[in-house]
Amino acid sequence: MTRVPPRTRRNRTHIVVFLAPAVLIYTAVMIVPLFETLRLSLFTTSGNHFVWNGVANFGVLFFDERQSLGFWNALRNNVYFFVIQMLQNPIGIGLAALLALPRLRAGAFYRTAIFLPTLLSFVIVGFGWKLILSPLWGVAPSLLGAVGLKGLFAPYLGRESSALTTLGFISVWQYVGVPMMLAYAALISIPDEIIDAAEVDGVVGIAQFFRVKLPLIWPTIGMISILTFVGNFNAFDLVYVTQGALGAPNYSTDILGTLLYRTFFGYQLQLGDPNMGATVATMMFLIILAGVCVYLFAVQRKISRYQF
Amino acid sequence: MLAAHAVLIAYTAVAVLPVLFIVMNSFKSRRAIFLAPLALPGPGSFDLVGYTTVLKTGAFGSYFANSLIVTLASLAGIIAFGSMAAFALAEYRFRLNTLTALYLMLGIMIPIRLGTVGILELMVAGHLVNTLVALILVYVASGLPVAVFVLTEFMRTISDDLKNAGRVDGLSEYEIYFWLVLPLVRPAIATVAVFTMIPIWNDLWFPLILAPGEATKTITLGAQQFIGQYVTDWNAVLAALSLGIFPVVGLYLIFSKNLIRGITSGAVK
Amino acid sequence: MNALELIGITKRFGSTEVLTGIDLCVDEGDFVVFVGPSGCGKSTLLRIVAGLEEQTSGNVRIAGASADGVPPAKRGIGMVFQTYALYPHLNVADNMSLALKREGLPRAEIERRLAAAAEMLELGPLLKRKPAALSGGQRQRVAIGRAIVRAPKLFLFDEPLSNLDAALRVNTRIEIANLHRALGSTMVYVTHDQIEAMTLADKIVVLNAGTIQQVGRPIDLYTMPANLFVAGFIGSPKMNFIGGDDALRAGAHTLGIRPEHLTLAANAPRWSGTVRHAEHLGSDTFLYVRTSAGELTVRVAGEAHVAIGQPIGLSAPDALVHRFDDRGLRLGQSSAG
Ligand SMILES: Nc1ncnc2c1ncn2[C@@H]1O[C@H](COP(=O)(O)OP(=O)(O)OP(=O)(O)O)[C@@H](O)[C@H]1O
Ligand SMILES: [Mg+2]
Repeated sequence: MTRVPPRTRRNRTHIVVFLAPAVLIYTAVMIVPLFETLRLSLFTTSGNHFVWNGVANFGVLFFDERQSLGFWNALRNNVYFFVIQMLQNPIGIGLAALLALPRLRAGAFYRTAIFLPTLLSFVIVGFGWKLILSPLWGVAPSLLGAVGLKGLFAPYLGRESSALTTLGFISVWQYVGVPMMLAYAALISIPDEIIDAAEVDGVVGIAQFFRVKLPLIWPTIGMISILTFVGNFNAFDLVYVTQGALGAPNYSTDILGTLLYRTFFGYQLQLGDPNMGATVATMMFLIILAGVCVYLFAVQRKISRYQF
Repeated sequence: MLAAHAVLIAYTAVAVLPVLFIVMNSFKSRRAIFLAPLALPGPGSFDLVGYTTVLKTGAFGSYFANSLIVTLASLAGIIAFGSMAAFALAEYRFRLNTLTALYLMLGIMIPIRLGTVGILELMVAGHLVNTLVALILVYVASGLPVAVFVLTEFMRTISDDLKNAGRVDGLSEYEIYFWLVLPLVRPAIATVAVFTMIPIWNDLWFPLILAPGEATKTITLGAQQFIGQYVTDWNAVLAALSLGIFPVVGLYLIFSKNLIRGITSGAVK
Repeated sequence: MNALELIGITKRFGSTEVLTGIDLCVDEGDFVVFVGPSGCGKSTLLRIVAGLEEQTSGNVRIAGASADGVPPAKRGIGMVFQTYALYPHLNVADNMSLALKREGLPRAEIERRLAAAAEMLELGPLLKRKPAALSGGQRQRVAIGRAIVRAPKLFLFDEPLSNLDAALRVNTRIEIANLHRALGSTMVYVTHDQIEAMTLADKIVVLNAGTIQQVGRPIDLYTMPANLFVAGFIGSPKMNFIGGDDALRAGAHTLGIRPEHLTLAANAPRWSGTVRHAEHLGSDTFLYVRTSAGELTVRVAGEAHVAIGQPIGLSAPDALVHRFDDRGLRLGQSSAG
């Protein structure tokens, strides 16, 4: 028998055709600008061109008397905001556990209703809550009065001590639907046989949730948490809409997003500075990178995935 | 079961009532808004003055059109390019497959806003500032990673036999993608569409930075600025907010069944 | 002219070689079955024939012409897949006629072929249904119909029956045999079920670990297995293998005796032992007997009345004892006593 050499490879240009548009747009509009931003953080503007500046911008950001205060304050606020926002996960998972109960009536109605705020823009949510919490309008006080807690009312968004916490809760209110949906989908994909086996073994009710279902949906919960973490850096819109670019009152709600906006574009008396803006963005990038790495290497490894 | 319903009803109230208060009061006269904020609009309090103010003063029609164009065009780009890339990654074995997949999915973890400085530079260089094209490009780029990720997962589940049957029947690779695979991943596409549409429609950051001009303002930016100007006109503000709520809620109620099925479709077969 | 010719086919996935130097000729009108254990490369070989997979080296010739580099649709083949692979969004008629439309056949001709195939497979009442509204057996018939309408030179089947229940499997097996008689076309059929292989094939190709072990008529594989692998793979229950002194005395490394060829012998048995377990099937009785030569399986026709633990003697005619050398290759029937 004659052995023939490997034949000419089949034409595979279609692979390139399929991939090219996505790779090109993504690279040009996302990846290149991102690296350009990282690069600009190492330069400073002199006249109208960039001059190499090493890590001096970071020095200014961390230690400069005027600017570092703003940065550390925004970072602290961001961390605090993230902690509050994480509350959405236990709440959402709890709701999902209830919704995933077998034979629950009207489940679709609850799901639809609870997911509703997630669809609204920050502009609507922010202004809406601003009105509702406004001392000028009686909605919040009357509602609190209806449950006998009228004394608790205060202009939450106007006070330095409570403004950021309130924003955090507004964000939780808006986004609780996301963990709820994802956890719900994970819960109902647990095979019925496993739940039946648990029933037969006498693991029922709350114990069933904690012993059987929760361990099976850990991977989803891990994913939800990291999504919350990343999404947290998009909270600019909410702060900007309700409290303005300065994070009123008195910078108490200033977060990295608003700081980036002011630093980059300038605001009122402050002049815009693309290099310092890029420096803030780079810091945000590094923080996210650190968070994602922690997730990938520490958290995700410990979570076992199950194939059903 | 009763306790479960009690909790769910309570939380549903928390989720829906604030929205309801806004919409309800937008139909009331100024006096009624303050006098009895919790009352439904009635014969004595019904008033559309807020809506007339909004429609007279704001260029909401053009804002709305801008938002619609940007959202639909971005969505079309994301779905078309995302599904093509996902098909290539799910279907073919080639040397750079894993690497390309990782590269494209990197964007899930990194908010595109961090590249704003660079993006503005790029748009200035391309004379695209204050155009809708700038927004569309940015949204397509930022939506692609999730779309590629979700659609690749879905396309992997389509049986090889089916695609091979198509090849035996004489379909080209492009036809297999367009004609066999796309129809089968429709639920996934619907899910991706909804989930990428919401943040695009609602985005404030890029319209503010890339297209703040009057001619290219989106509804989200327009509403934000309108409300900022008219803070003291409660009727107008409430009406503007309600106008932002109606289309979203309307669409949602129409699609919610499919949406929820899409999200859970991996689960409930 | 050969309907199908494989010349030195090799297939590697990365560094693992799943097919090694496959050479095979299939005559026109033959029903050829590839059989072998799971993972031996049957499907891969079939997919190379279909053009769905590219061989690493070697040639495929279909109906005398080289098929290398020819896309699947141009190879003149019809293929039936294990999972049916019906287009879920098309009804039965459209599923079956898609390829014909792609070939640009005139409408009337398409209608004619569709009607003929529907008639042959009794699909008439189902033509307007979507695949989701069909039972497993009906789907399988549609999948076969889709291959038939193209009037291919070569039919390829990849385990077409493995998703059907036992009763339906027997029916469809008979249908496929009838189809082969009616059409007279060349068919290549992959299965890991030896009953399917024995009942359907004109010629069986036994594969193991990416190489052809033996090619032959079913009865030849049964009566003259070329090596230990084929001997053990064809036939149920499995052939008994005996090594040691018994084999040496017969001038072999291993002896092979099919369970149905062992007989109970009261006088001068070749092996004696005790019954450890018995399975009563009614038509047959399987006895598992512990002997000095190891455990032997015996197939006795009808009902055998034996008790567990009962001593028993076994014999076999020399003509039915297979001999294999130390490499596992066949030596010819036993000549010594
Ligand atoms: N795309 C691939 N990449 C790597 N290895 C593969 C690939 N496809 C098949 N293989 C390997 O090739 C070998 C043969 O596979 P093949 O599907 O031909 O087996 P088979 O004989 O059809 O088995 P079965 O009876 O289980 O269907 C297997 O070991 C399989 O793991
Ligand atoms: Mg196989």
